[in-house]
Amino acid sequence: MTDAFALPTRFGTQALGGCYAPETLMQPLLDLEAAFCGALADPAFQTELKAELRHFVGRPTPLTPAPRLAAKLGLKALFLKREDLAHTGAHKINNALAQALLARRMGKTEIIAETGAGQHGVATAAACARLGLRCTVYMGVTDMARQAPNVARMRLFGATVEPVAAGQGTLKEAVNEALRAWAGRCTTAHYILGSALGPHPFPTLVRSFQTVIGEEARAQVLEQGGALPDAVVACAGGGSNGLGLLVPFLGDRLRRMAVEAGGHGRALGEHAARLDGGRLGVLHGCKTLLLQDEHGHTAETASVSAGLDYPALGPELAALVLDGKVDVRRASDDEALAAARLLCETEGILPALESSHALALLPTLAAEGAATVLLGLSGRGDKDLSTYQSHLEF
Amino acid sequence: MALNPLLPFIMAGDPSLEALPGYLSEARALGLEALELGLPHSDPIADGPVLQAAAHRAIARGATPRRVLEALSGLTDSPDLILFTYLNPLLQLGVEPLLRLLEPTPVKSLLVVDLPFGEEPAFEATLRGAGYPMVPLLAPTTRLERAQALLGTRPDPGPEAPFAQRFAYVVARLGVTGAGQGTDLAPVLKRLDALKAISDRPLAVGFGLSDPASLRAVRALGATPVIGSALVAGLTSGSSIRTALSRCFC
Ligand SMILES: Cc1ncc(COP(=O)(O)O)c(C=O)c1O
Repeated sequence: MTDAFALPTRFGTQALGGCYAPETLMQPLLDLEAAFCGALADPAFQTELKAELRHFVGRPTPLTPAPRLAAKLGLKALFLKREDLAHTGAHKINNALAQALLARRMGKTEIIAETGAGQHGVATAAACARLGLRCTVYMGVTDMARQAPNVARMRLFGATVEPVAAGQGTLKEAVNEALRAWAGRCTTAHYILGSALGPHPFPTLVRSFQTVIGEEARAQVLEQGGALPDAVVACAGGGSNGLGLLVPFLGDRLRRMAVEAGGHGRALGEHAARLDGGRLGVLHGCKTLLLQDEHGHTAETASVSAGLDYPALGPELAALVLDGKVDVRRASDDEALAAARLLCETEGILPALESSHALALLPTLAAEGAATVLLGLSGRGDKDLSTYQSHLEF
Repeated sequence: MALNPLLPFIMAGDPSLEALPGYLSEARALGLEALELGLPHSDPIADGPVLQAAAHRAIARGATPRRVLEALSGLTDSPDLILFTYLNPLLQLGVEPLLRLLEPTPVKSLLVVDLPFGEEPAFEATLRGAGYPMVPLLAPTTRLERAQALLGTRPDPGPEAPFAQRFAYVVARLGVTGAGQGTDLAPVLKRLDALKAISDRPLAVGFGLSDPASLRAVRALGATPVIGSALVAGLTSGSSIRTALSRCFC
C-alpha cells in the first residue's frame, strides 16, 4: 500500500490492537499518525505542551503520602499520585489537552469527544475553550444522569453535549456515536478519544500523552520514599491512567496491578471485568479483551463507576496482562464504595469512584505481603457525590 | 456488459427470519441480480439510525449470525447475496464453521465494514480461497492512489464471475448509512469518472441514495445505485419489496 502506518499498530504476543476502521476513517487515521509523529519530533510542540501541562493543568501533580490509611491497612507506606489535583479533576486532561494541541496543529476547527464519567468530556471542553476550538461531546443518557455535575461543567465551557439514548446509554454507545459523527465531519473535525482504545493510532497516542503520570511518580517516589514500592496500582476502564502510571515501571522489579470494575456479580452483564469473562474480539476499531456473547455481540456491562463501565480493555494494557507484565484484579461496587469512604475519613481526600476501585485492592495487596504501594488516584470524587450519598450513610 | 440497475440492501431478521426467503424470492422475481444482506451487529458504527434500529430489532428477535446463515441454507430462489457485516461476529464464529455455514447458501461475497485489507490476512485469504471474496470499499476520503491499491488487494476475479464478486462499493458521502436528504452527488459522480479511468470492474454507489433522480444520476455514469435505509424503512412499515422499490425502477 502506498500509504501505510509508520508506527507499530499491534501489541504483545497476541498482536492486539490494529486498525479495524471503516474506510472513511482510514485517511483521517493515517493523517493523525503522521501529525502525531511530526509533533513528537518538533521541539516547538514539545515546549508548548510542557508549558501548558505546567501552567494550565498544574503539573507535576503531587505524590502524597497517606500514612493514616497505610496504618489502617497494615501497609508500611502508601503514596497517592494525585491526578485528582490536575485541572478539571482527573488524568484525562493530560491527553485531552495534548490532542487538542495536535488538532490545532492539523488545522482542525472542531473537536468531537465521547465521555463516560464526564471527566474526559470536561477536560476536552476545557482544552477547547482554552484553544478556541468548537467542541461536541457524546454522552450516554444513563451517564448524563449519574454524572450530572460534569454535564453542567461541559456546557459552561461552551461545549455541546449530545445525549446518546441507544442501548444502555453508557460509554460504549457514546463511542459508537462519536465514531459516526467523526466519519461525517472528519475533514474538519478531530476526534479526541479519551482512553487508550480505538483504532491505531489512538491507543499509542493516548498512552504516550499519559505516561507523564508514571514518569513523575517514579521520580517522586524515589525521592520521597528512597526506593521503588513493592506494588504500583491503578484502576482500568479503557486503560489510559493504568498505562500512564504503569508503563514507566515496566523495567522495574515490582508488582504492576490494574483493577477492573467487578460490578455487582460474576455473570455476564453484571460487571465490567474483561479479564475474567472476556475473550479476544474486535470493538471500536481494535482487537482486545472484550465482554461479548457467543455470537460476537458486545455484552452489557454494569458498574457503579461510569468511567469503568465499558466492555473492552484497551489493547496495550490487555497485551501487557496476557503477557504477564501486569496483573489484573476486580473490585466490586461495594468494595469500591467502602474504599472511598475510608480514604475520605483517614486522609481527607474524596476519590472518584473509578479511582476507588484501585483503593479497594489495597487490603488484598497488604494481605499478599506488599509493604509499600504507589497508587494512581486518577480523579476526584465531586462528580460522584450523589452516588456516594445514595449508597453510603453519612 | 449490461448495467446492473439496482443493488438493494435488507437486514436479515427484520422483521423476522421467517420473512427472509419470501423477500429474497420476490427480489429475484423482480430481476434483481444481487442483494446486500445485513448480518445484524450490536454496535454498527458505520450505520445511521434506520439500520441501527433494524439491527437491534433483528437481534432482539434472535437473528444470530448462525441462525441467519442457517435460514439461507438450501435457498436457490434468491439473488446472489453479499453478506454485509462487521468483523467480530464472523471472528467469533471462526473461519472453518463460517465456511461450512456459507457453503449451502446463495452468499457469493462479503462486505465487512470494519475490516481494512491486511488486518486479518489469514482469515481473508481463506475466505477468498473458498470463493468468498471481500468487496473493496472506497470512501470520499480515499485518495485515488489508495483506491487503486485497494482495488488491487481485493482484485476483480474477471468477467465470468458474478457481479456480487466483482464490484467495488463506492461510498457516496461522508458519514454513516441513511437516506440522505439532498446528498450532494457532485463529488461522487466526479469520483466515478476517475475510478472508471483506472478500473473496468463494476461499481456500486451507496450511502444516502433514495430518490429516483439520484439513482438515475448514478446509473447515467454506468454505476449501480445501492438502496438501503429507504428500503428497510419501507419494509418496516409493512410494504412488499416490490412496493418499497417501486420508485427505484423509474
Ligand atoms: C477519574 C477516572 N479514572 C479512571 C477512568 C477510567 O479510564 P482509563 O482506564 O482510561 O483511565 C476514568 C474514565 O472516565 C475517570 O474519569
